[in-house]
Amino acid sequence: MMKPTAHDSPDLAEQNLVLSTLEPNQLAAAKKNRVPRRQLKGPELVALWGLRVYLLFMIAVVIYQAWTGAH
Amino acid sequence: MGIETNSLAAPFAQEPVVITHEDVDRAHDRARVQAARSRGGMSSRLRLLWLLAGPGVLVMLGENDGPSMLSYAATGAKFGIGFFLPFIVLTFVMAIVVQEMTVRLAAATQRGHAELIFERFGPFWGWFAMIDLSIGNFLTLITEFIAIRAGLGFFGVPPWAAVLASLALLYTALMTHRYWTWERITLAIAAGNLIFIPIALMAHPAWHSVGHAFIAWKPLPGGLNKDVLLIVLADIGATVTPWMLFFQQSATVDKGLTKRDVGFGHFDTVLGATLAAATAVATVLVTTLLFKHGMSADNFQAGEFAQALQPLIGRLGASLFALGMVEAGMVACVTISTSSAYAFGEVASRPHSLNLPLSEGKAFYTVLFACAALAAAIVLIPGLPLVYVVLIVNVIAVLAMPPALIFLFILVNDKELMGSSISPRWANVLASTVVIALTGAGILFGISVLAPNFFASLGGK
Repeated sequence: MMKPTAHDSPDLAEQNLVLSTLEPNQLAAAKKNRVPRRQLKGPELVALWGLRVYLLFMIAVVIYQAWTGAH
Repeated sequence: MGIETNSLAAPFAQEPVVITHEDVDRAHDRARVQAARSRGGMSSRLRLLWLLAGPGVLVMLGENDGPSMLSYAATGAKFGIGFFLPFIVLTFVMAIVVQEMTVRLAAATQRGHAELIFERFGPFWGWFAMIDLSIGNFLTLITEFIAIRAGLGFFGVPPWAAVLASLALLYTALMTHRYWTWERITLAIAAGNLIFIPIALMAHPAWHSVGHAFIAWKPLPGGLNKDVLLIVLADIGATVTPWMLFFQQSATVDKGLTKRDVGFGHFDTVLGATLAAATAVATVLVTTLLFKHGMSADNFQAGEFAQALQPLIGRLGASLFALGMVEAGMVACVTISTSSAYAFGEVASRPHSLNLPLSEGKAFYTVLFACAALAAAIVLIPGLPLVYVVLIVNVIAVLAMPPALIFLFILVNDKELMGSSISPRWANVLASTVVIALTGAGILFGISVLAPNFFASLGGK
């Protein structure tokens, strides 16, 4: 790790503080590097689609319940 | 990107590194953590806990929000304590299982939940998650202002003044432009959630009945039916909701926790869940007085619960109850609107941190404040069926949880992302159980709505 030195200017001292305390992937600039894409596999896709259908169906049930409750 | 766009050669990379204000602020926080860690001993651990706790307590007390407290109040008033006290504690155990994963994911990847889903699985799935979050957060924000308006209404504050005062407080917390200060201000307000505990003591609960409720855990009152299942789902939705995943992961990243701090992150989560569970149980104990006195609470709002309780626990107790509702709504306003803004920034690749000065984080702060302001405006529409809206919003939160949990489950089991922090088998078993339980509860609720006589044929009412 880079260490701050006594003759550093305040800005440089802050830069050194950042580099000595933050991990590389904690820097705001590091967030620009995208996480590599991953293909979802069979069981994962089945679970995601199954729960998506479940959510849409259940939202329809809630709307139906609200409608019947209002009438 | 930042106003400090100095480039320098980092010792750990060949390319120049851009340092921003956000990095400098976070580095100051981390320097205090490193200093505390270097000292050793018990005082050092307590100091570390003070420095590293925050997101877990905030997310748990934040989820003890307006609709949640109204759900707990309705639970006590309609059903008493028999089944629901242990059930509510169980829902907080579920919350710990779920939120623990977000701490590990944040520390291992240093990425927010929304950006991980978008980048790892692509925008198709990312937009599904974002739409779920955005709709859920906005509906929940409306209910927070309902609680604030109703709670302050107990003191005769007009709705427009209640809404404006809460927006002003939200704006004040944001204008610190510093995650640490924002977190401490919000934590101080969140501590007000514990006010329900002394109110419960004022209600003089029968402690032997409370103990018996936990030991015996009576079956559902009246068996399974639509009303009971609505409250069951509302109580689950009062504890585990999608915004909590997005908020705690993003806040943990913003705070700067690393893999070495995960143990403290877990402690933070358990501490928050314990405090929130104690508050939830206390609320049920208070409104159980209404159940014992046979008072119907079907259409109560926060202020009306307080009015109904006044003859039973006195003016002071009722006033504290109303204030507790205001606090619950206020903290959630802050945390949920922040969760929306984090997610927006992550998806739109815009700077997203509470350490950002206004000049660098215009989009982040605009989304945060605009969400809250729009929800506040809707609450001022006269004639809204407020309590029904509150219960339905909690139900929707439960229904949206299993799809959100599947993304989390896949991410924490992604060896490439997590490395040594990958989920152990026991965590996967617990998480799978939570997904199955939430999905099952939703299906039972659906059956109770579509085929109301189904449970009667099985012996329910």
